[in-house]
Amino acid sequence: MSALKRFFLSRLLREKLMLVLFVALVAIVWLVNFSSRTSRSWLEYRTTRNELAQQKQWLASRESIENSAVQAVKNLDPAQTLDDTRLVGELQTLARDLNLKFLNDAPQTERTANFAVHTVQVTIPRGEWEVLYNFYVAVARRSPYIGITQFSLAADRSNRQLLNASLRISSVEIVR
Amino acid sequence: MTLLRTFRAGPPPLKVILLPDGVFFTRTITIAQGSTALDVNAQVELALETLSPFPPAQLYHGFYWPPGAEFALVFAAYRRRFTNEQLEGWESAELVMPTFAALLGGDIRSETTLIIPSAEGLTALYFAQSPVPTKVVFRAMQPDAIDADWTRAREQLATAVPTNRAVVVNAPPVAIAAPNDREIAFQAEAFTSRLPLTVSAALDVRDKDALAGLRRARNRDLALWRGFLALVALLFLLAAGEFLLLAAAGWSRTRLTQITAQRPVVERIMLAQSVTTRINELSTKRLLPFEMILQVMGPKPESVTFLRASTVGLYGLNVEAESTSPAAPSAYQAALSALPAVEKVEVRDQRARDNLLTFTLAVTFRPEIIKPGTPQ
Repeated sequence: MSALKRFFLSRLLREKLMLVLFVALVAIVWLVNFSSRTSRSWLEYRTTRNELAQQKQWLASRESIENSAVQAVKNLDPAQTLDDTRLVGELQTLARDLNLKFLNDAPQTERTANFAVHTVQVTIPRGEWEVLYNFYVAVARRSPYIGITQFSLAADRSNRQLLNASLRISSVEIVR
Repeated sequence: MTLLRTFRAGPPPLKVILLPDGVFFTRTITIAQGSTALDVNAQVELALETLSPFPPAQLYHGFYWPPGAEFALVFAAYRRRFTNEQLEGWESAELVMPTFAALLGGDIRSETTLIIPSAEGLTALYFAQSPVPTKVVFRAMQPDAIDADWTRAREQLATAVPTNRAVVVNAPPVAIAAPNDREIAFQAEAFTSRLPLTVSAALDVRDKDALAGLRRARNRDLALWRGFLALVALLFLLAAGEFLLLAAAGWSRTRLTQITAQRPVVERIMLAQSVTTRINELSTKRLLPFEMILQVMGPKPESVTFLRASTVGLYGLNVEAESTSPAAPSAYQAALSALPAVEKVEVRDQRARDNLLTFTLAVTFRPEIIKPGTPQ
């Protein structure tokens, strides 16, 4: 260190200033670059920490969730549960029995190893209040195997006595 | 490579100019007890004015006073005794002083005579009491003096104070590398002398104003050096930080691998949870849209016509309606709020057009109050 000090002090003033400025410039550039990388690294650390903590919580509650799932289907008769095809077929039958037009989107499925929940968006255009109500009652009778999760009713523009119904209907399927 | 060689060679000795002892007259003066360095400086200036035939401004002078000593050794030389050639290099030197002063920092006991040779002659320092010499005597030698002459002169100087122990060095002092930055070191044969910077500053005989300028420049250089050191330390810190970042990146990769490995399992659990919730909702929490619509229809004013009704969650119903009466929405809201099954009613998006008011009623029902029924 003494040698470096002597070397530094023995330089001309302009050389000393240039040395200090050069080192300062390097330090500033490095510091700016380093702080941005540190901040990115810190953000990554926090994200992974939170994700790991969440994963840990989910893994810790695995057993209780599996038990809850078993409890949830305990009172259901596997024979009466409906897959997506049966769900659409059942709803079409109910609508046909009441002379209702029936339109449906492709069913969506959430599936675990043992259960599945199928959801279908159904539109019934230009139905009368009583008929729609009867359709609703018929669907409700299939509870808890079929359930309405979203419902919307709008007056038809051309004839306000008629209603357009839109329903999101789900069914439970016990896979085994 | 030159820079590397400089560092490998270690710190070079400071540039010190040792002046011939013969041009200086010396006196030992008594220092008042408890004097500070500043007081001593004033006392030396006063002594010089008394002792010297020349005013202090025409002298190169310095003094030796280790803090706390009872005496100070003052030395001075008439400026005109130095040629311009001799003055060359003084500006860049760390220290300019008489040759004998270099050895004043040696380990010298009381009652000792130290004899120092130089090209011009011999200098004897008589120490009655350490550490300040009582007397300094210079004996000039002829250029053609032989060894016997030098030996005789040494003996004469040594026996001048017979009670003293004589220490004779056979080589003039030279500056050597000091063990630390706070000292200046000299060596003459085996005899070493270490002068603290606080003491050596007073030994410097240069013009005091010029010396003050040099000191200011040195302080500025030291400040630059400290700034340079701080920046270098920052660079080292940043380098250490880079290693930490590297380690953190490795650790983060391990954690990401763990997250990726666990993700499918966690997603299966989350799906199981979601499906279980859906099954539970289907089994135990039925959406009752018609029952809710019929509840809302109960207190409906005649002027209000429903356009659209849609459920929001399990217990919410948004009804878009129109009315010819501007007071109808608020009256209807009040009537709905009075229903026991209704928790909250809000009227939103009121718009008037062609004497027709459209609005939305956001109705929230109390959970589990409405029961499935036959609301015909």
